[in-house]
Amino acid sequence: MNPEPFLQLNRVIHEKGRLAIMSMLAASPELSFTELRDALAMTDGNLTTHIRALQQEGYVAVAKSYQNNRPLTTCSLTAAGRKAFAEYINLLEQIIRQTRSK
Amino acid sequence: MGMETNWAAEQLQTIRTLMERSAVYRRALAPIMLFAGTVGVLAAATGFLCHFDSPDAFGCMWVVAAMFAFSGVVLISRRQAFKAKEPFWSPPADRVVQAMLPSWLAGLIAVSVFRFLAVNDPQLFWWLPPIWMVLYGLALYGAGFFMPRGIRLLGWCFLLSGLAALVILAIKSMSGPLPPLIYAHYLMGFFFGVLHLAYGAYLYLTEKGKNAA
Repeated sequence: MNPEPFLQLNRVIHEKGRLAIMSMLAASPELSFTELRDALAMTDGNLTTHIRALQQEGYVAVAKSYQNNRPLTTCSLTAAGRKAFAEYINLLEQIIRQTRSK
Repeated sequence: MGMETNWAAEQLQTIRTLMERSAVYRRALAPIMLFAGTVGVLAAATGFLCHFDSPDAFGCMWVVAAMFAFSGVVLISRRQAFKAKEPFWSPPADRVVQAMLPSWLAGLIAVSVFRFLAVNDPQLFWWLPPIWMVLYGLALYGAGFFMPRGIRLLGWCFLLSGLAALVILAIKSMSGPLPPLIYAHYLMGFFFGVLHLAYGAYLYLTEKGKNAA
């Protein structure tokens, strides 16, 4: 077991805003940009920046479509995103287990 | 080390909270609303055509209609969950039912109470449909926090219409006797039938093909 699981935490996911986005997407098949923005109380620019960062890592897929003749942007976790998120959670649990056993 | 543990635990708690908030009940509501509306319209037509104008007949018929609609909604949701290969009793479904349960129970208790109150005055049963509308509106509004936003709006429609109907009934009852109970089927048919159908048709047209689980 790695003595420093904290250092293994995925830095991309670890950022507060991105972790919130990943958490919300992990519990839902997909969420619209608006739903994410409203739920996380983020600005459009802030959310776009974080989603772009997650998209570049291959963790989030963004789909653009139309609903009621209005553009609809939906985000979902990719398989890689789900795996990275699960690993992040496992590491957090590992940190708790290790420090409690000491 | 202790700080690290606390930090990790807090982080996990935050993740859990966010995941719970994100898990919205997303079964396709259009078929559910269309089914509930059809049952409402058919029940109103049956009540009117079969002259169910006594409190017993009125109350029994609408309780049976509500139970039939509820059973149908459960079956439709179950079929959708089965198709999507997801559990039927998901955490969002649990929250939706918990949000609606108190109002449903209050609606059932209201029938029993009015059944006794209306022994000497059958016209008192006129108060039941608006009370049901208010309770159903509250149920939808509560469940709307775990469902798409439109449900809360539908809840407001029922709530405000029910309150308006109560005010109209109060004014009417002060100025003279209320119309025969058989006309209450119109009220029920319009709100629990037509309004559901209209909302279902709106959902069907706007969310066609979007059967997200």
